[in-house]
Formats: sequence, C-alpha cells, structure tokens
Amino acid sequence: MQRSNGEHMGRVITITSGKGGVGKTTTTANLGTALALQGGRVVVVDADIGLRNLDVVMGLENRIVYDLVDVVEGRARLRQALIRDKRLPELCLLPAAQTRDKDAVSREQMIDLTGQLRREFDFVLIDSPAGIENGFRNAIAGADEVIIVTTPEVSAVRDADRIIGLVEAAEKGPPSLVVNRIKPRLVNRGEMLSVEDVLELLAITLIGIVPDDETIVTSTNRGEAAVYDHQSQAGRAFLDVARRLRGEEVPFPVLQEQQGMLERFFGIFGRRRS
Amino acid sequence: MGFFENLFGGRRDRSASLAKQRLMMVLVDDRYKLTPEMLQQMKVEIAEVLSRYLPAVDAGQIEVKILRGEANDYLKADIPLKRGQPDVG
Repeated sequence: MQRSNGEHMGRVITITSGKGGVGKTTTTANLGTALALQGGRVVVVDADIGLRNLDVVMGLENRIVYDLVDVVEGRARLRQALIRDKRLPELCLLPAAQTRDKDAVSREQMIDLTGQLRREFDFVLIDSPAGIENGFRNAIAGADEVIIVTTPEVSAVRDADRIIGLVEAAEKGPPSLVVNRIKPRLVNRGEMLSVEDVLELLAITLIGIVPDDETIVTSTNRGEAAVYDHQSQAGRAFLDVARRLRGEEVPFPVLQEQQGMLERFFGIFGRRRS
Repeated sequence: MGFFENLFGGRRDRSASLAKQRLMMVLVDDRYKLTPEMLQQMKVEIAEVLSRYLPAVDAGQIEVKILRGEANDYLKADIPLKRGQPDVG
C-alpha cells in the first residue's frame, strides 16, 4: 500500500482470542512465515509483555538482545531490536520484554511503534496477550485489522464473542475468524462444534480452518513453523489463511479425518460418518 | 435405542448440538442480560398484543431467540397461530 505522499504503508493485523491457549502464538508464527514465504516483508510483534513466547515458537530465542520495551523507552533503536528469521530474510521478530510488567507500554506507544513498523514492512502481525485488559487493548490499538482465533469449545467461543464485541466497539471493523484445532472425526460424530456452528454463533467472516494436527507439536518443539512441513495439514491451512489475507480467493478444503493406527486397522467396521 | 446404535454413537443427544444450544443462550445472555424471567414476560406480552389482531396466541408456544447476524443481531420469534378458527374480522 502506498500513501499519496509516497510513504509505504503496510497492514497492521492483530491476532487475538480472549481465551488463552487456543493458538494465537502458533497462528502468528505460521501466518508470518507463510506471508514471508509468499514474498511479503513481514514483522511479527510479541505484544505479550512479561510472557514472551513468540521467540521460542519461531526458534529465535537465542538471538534476542533488545526487546519491545527497550525500543519504546528509547534504550534501543527499532532496527537494533528486530531479529531476522533463520531462513527468511524478509521475516523479522520484535520480541516482548520478559522481565517487565505488562503495563510497561502505553496505548500511544503501541500506536507509534506500529506506525513506524508499517513504513518498513508489508505486514505487521501483532500477537496479542490473552484477556480483555490493557495488554489486549494495547495490542489492537494500532491495528487496521483483527483476526480472532478460537477453538470449537464452549469457553473459547464464548470468549471470542466477548472479544468481537470489544473489537467492534474499538471501531476496528469486523474481525475475521480462524477456527483452530478442528477434529473432523469428532465433528462427524456430532461430538464437536463444527465450523458452521461456530460461524453461526459468532457471525463474522471466516478466514481459516485449521485442523488439530500433531505436526504442530513437533514443529513447535523444533522452533520451526509448520508451514515448512509439507506433510502438515495445519501448515497447509495456515498457508491458505495467508493467501486469503493477501486477497486471493482460496476455497476451504474438506478436512480429512486423521486416523490412528488402531483405527485404520479396525476401520472396516463400526465407524459411522454423519 | 439399539445396542449397536448406542455403541457406535447412535441417536443419543450429541454433545455438539448441546454445546451449540448452551452457547446460544450464553452469548445472548452475555450481550443482552436477558434473564429467563424477562424472556417469559416478553412472550406473555407478545401473546397479549398479537391476540388483539389474531386468533388466540398461546404464550407458552412462542419461541423467541436472539441470533447474531453479520451487521446486527436479530430477534427471531416462532409464533404458532391456531388454525381453523372462525373469521375474526
């Protein structure tokens, strides 16, 4: 995006959820990596001050010198604090402070920071802390768009609804939704909320369906995004989310049931679909 | 319910539809703070108003739901009318 004065203006997109543990950080890391793989200049920002996590998920924890609070308080310049990804030169991380209080950053400082970042990058992805307090409000303060991550569980969907209300009240426009950790087998048996159920309840635009996938565990263990793993269903789903974010029309694939060995063995009898 | 149906996940009330129903209630409650008593009172009053124009409407048969739409939430009411009544006009 280009402003009339020729200044580059990237998109600031906050990833949030309300409930913790639904996959915000995994989504941010994979989406950031996917967008960079697709040719964008991307910075991912860990806005969870005091609970730094995005660095380990991306495998960059050993390279941190300065953090977001150092930049905001003027101890480091932005360029000094940005950490370049191991593989993708166009992907950077701005880590959260680990030792500071969650209130170490103000809303104005976050708006200023995202304003600086969008001049250098095409996509500024902000990993929001859980909750509906200051940390969350700071994380959406500078955002143009908000992505809400939920899982098909009652508590996560309820919290997502709260967050949608707050995002709309903050006039950030209608957020879009990633439904994470879908288990097609449970959905087919009627024992898990389907994506359609969640959409009917939350009534916002769908941008991603990510299946529950063991490869997320292994890729996180290694500190590598799942989008690199061609075997990873979740990785492919995140690549699709990135393409949709860039404006491509990407159909939502029908999720395949992941079968365990025993189930494959006994699969000839007993299991009913739909 | 047959043994096999039960064993392989037959017609028992599926937990997903239960979850959805409960969430419908909770989300509306979170947003509108509408208690069951208020909802009941609303049905009684709806029946009252409609009964002035239509064959008797039974408040007990009215189903009211608040649903989320894209731009707005909306209220959906199912109000059965008694059929086969003589002309009221």
